[in-house]
Amino acid sequence: MNLVELNQISKTYDTKVAVDALSLQIEAGKMFGLLGPNGAGKTSTIRMMIGITLPDSGSVTLFGQPFSRKDLPRVGYLPEERGLYKKMKVIDQLVFLGQLHGLDATQAKTRAHQWCERLQILDAIELKTEELSKGMQQKIQFISTLLHEPELIIMDEPFSGLDPVNTQLLQETLLELKNAGKAILFSTHRMDQVEKLCDSICLIDGGKAVLSGGMRELKSRYPRNHVVIDFEGDNSFVRHPVVAEYKAFAGHVEIRLRDGADAQDLLRAALQNAKIYKFELIEPSLEEIFIRTVGRRVDA
Amino acid sequence: MREALLIAKREYVERVRSKAFRISTVLIPLAFAAVFGMGAFSGKMAGGARNIVVASNDPVLAQCTRTELLRARTGKNDAKGEQNAPPTQLHVEVESPVAASDLAALDRQVGSKAIDGYLWLRVQPGQAVPEATYVSRGSADFLGADKMQGAIGDALVREALMDHGVAGAQADDLLHDVDLKTRQVKNGKAVASDASKGFWGAYIMAFVLYFAVVFYGMNVAHSVVSEKTSRVFEVLLATAKPESLMAGKLLGVGAAGLTQMAVWIAAVLLLSASALGSELGQGGLAAYGITPLQLAFFVVYFLLGFFFYSALSAGFGATVSQESEVQQFSMILVMPQLVGLMLMVYILGNPSAWPVVLLSLFPPCTPIVMCLRMSAMAVPWWQLALSLVLMVAATYGVLWVASRIYRVGILMYGKRPTLPEILRWLSYS
Repeated sequence: MNLVELNQISKTYDTKVAVDALSLQIEAGKMFGLLGPNGAGKTSTIRMMIGITLPDSGSVTLFGQPFSRKDLPRVGYLPEERGLYKKMKVIDQLVFLGQLHGLDATQAKTRAHQWCERLQILDAIELKTEELSKGMQQKIQFISTLLHEPELIIMDEPFSGLDPVNTQLLQETLLELKNAGKAILFSTHRMDQVEKLCDSICLIDGGKAVLSGGMRELKSRYPRNHVVIDFEGDNSFVRHPVVAEYKAFAGHVEIRLRDGADAQDLLRAALQNAKIYKFELIEPSLEEIFIRTVGRRVDA
Repeated sequence: MREALLIAKREYVERVRSKAFRISTVLIPLAFAAVFGMGAFSGKMAGGARNIVVASNDPVLAQCTRTELLRARTGKNDAKGEQNAPPTQLHVEVESPVAASDLAALDRQVGSKAIDGYLWLRVQPGQAVPEATYVSRGSADFLGADKMQGAIGDALVREALMDHGVAGAQADDLLHDVDLKTRQVKNGKAVASDASKGFWGAYIMAFVLYFAVVFYGMNVAHSVVSEKTSRVFEVLLATAKPESLMAGKLLGVGAAGLTQMAVWIAAVLLLSASALGSELGQGGLAAYGITPLQLAFFVVYFLLGFFFYSALSAGFGATVSQESEVQQFSMILVMPQLVGLMLMVYILGNPSAWPVVLLSLFPPCTPIVMCLRMSAMAVPWWQLALSLVLMVAATYGVLWVASRIYRVGILMYGKRPTLPEILRWLSYS
């Protein structure tokens, strides 16, 4: 079942078109990546999805019904711009946000304790928010998004500013939630994070969807024309006619093949002068797919 | 509604728990007391023992001046309310006849604090009025300069009366001031009024209104901007409507303000129940000429004024991105009320003049101007009713506009919007 359906939504601010006739669907039990460079319209799209702003045209369907505010307690939203009350105690803050999402105070308190324990910040629960490190504040914000057990979880750049250990912890938590049947929308300009986590994506640029679909299906549309070779010996094979471009390191090269070229030809040439430890034909990264589709880099 | 109440509760609890709240609860009344007390204090100081000398080349005039100075100090009669003045401990000595050359000795006495000052009256032949000089270390602080002048004038009259054989009690009677009573028509009946009491009541109410509305209104703006800078808004907006956020904020800040005022009122009641209080202000509010009706309207105007200005403040707050920018629009909140305060004397003197009536019906000025008018006269019922209708309508209008600006503004960061941009926000859905 589709928990979210955006149908041709558009939004214009004064003269700037933020979102242009965008459509997408998010299924329950799936992780969905909303990708695009900064300013592509990701946050504007999310805001319309949960009624912070209304689209100028097009329609939003949540949980199979036309958008209605009464469904908002079923949504958890972690905005890109994190915001917590600095002077408020962590527990009070979580209880307040839980109550806003329809929990009663006792329920909110119990769950806040459970979550803080799970994310290893139980010690901080009686502290004021301003006394916490940035990473800890991020976790509190993360918990506040999940406290009311939303069916649809929307996270705008959830890992920005987190160290690798906490990023791992949060990723695992998100995967668990996905397996428990929640739909997760995950918006980022960091393509590498999405590749591992998302089942399907929508790549937007200039407010328009430039690429969307299942991750596997999308990648299979592009030929595997990248080769990584670990070797010992002469690297003259990089000048073979099938090679379009290469990056050479000591005992390691990354090669992009010409369109229609056969990687086996390269393997044969390499074997003649070098000892091959690894020869891997890899699929293009999302970043490369983006570049191919849009004609420039994500951060350009 | 539930959202608005939750937000109001959070706003209230966090505010009341904060250090700033506790500090301002204590400091603000102290500041008020200091301002009001200053007058009383300086009066008390002036009431301390004073030794002065009247020096003149005319012994009769010097003696008469001494008499008049003492009479001016104690109050010649009751009409001016001078019976309330602190008991005089004014010692006036007469040195006469004295020549101008003797003044150096008197100067030395003033310098060595043997006396507080001396009044030098020099009568010159052919001149009806003497040349008068008061010499002291400070200014003429034991009496106002005008009263000292009056006393000298009276002394001249007394001297002239003595020349005509009128003396003693008879002269006292002739120099007695007329006792002028003032009466005020309230609700069709003339009742005794006391101009100075009425003034103090009006002054206190207008000042409290001004202060409370500006202070709590600015609190709302600061609170909006701080939520904006800490980016909490976006989290809240994911479940709560902007209108609920704003309503919650106004209710929360307003309730905190009322709590603070309740603490102050309770403190005043406790104080006035104590011995000290009974000395300071007998008869409670009535002593300040405040009637229960006025008090009721005061509360209503306070609430309307608060919501009017706080909504305005919330709307303005939403258009800026930094605390420092809040100051830029504070003048807009202050000006209309300041008009009321600046024209206070005129309003109290001419409470039914048409410009004053119009001003009292103009919603931004209504709370203060109407409270002032009510203490000066019985304002016609239709004017009170009309002012309430206009005020409620204006408050509703401001809430509507502010909530529209608010819902767009709180998501806007960066450059300050221009007025046409803000007007365009009103049409955003």
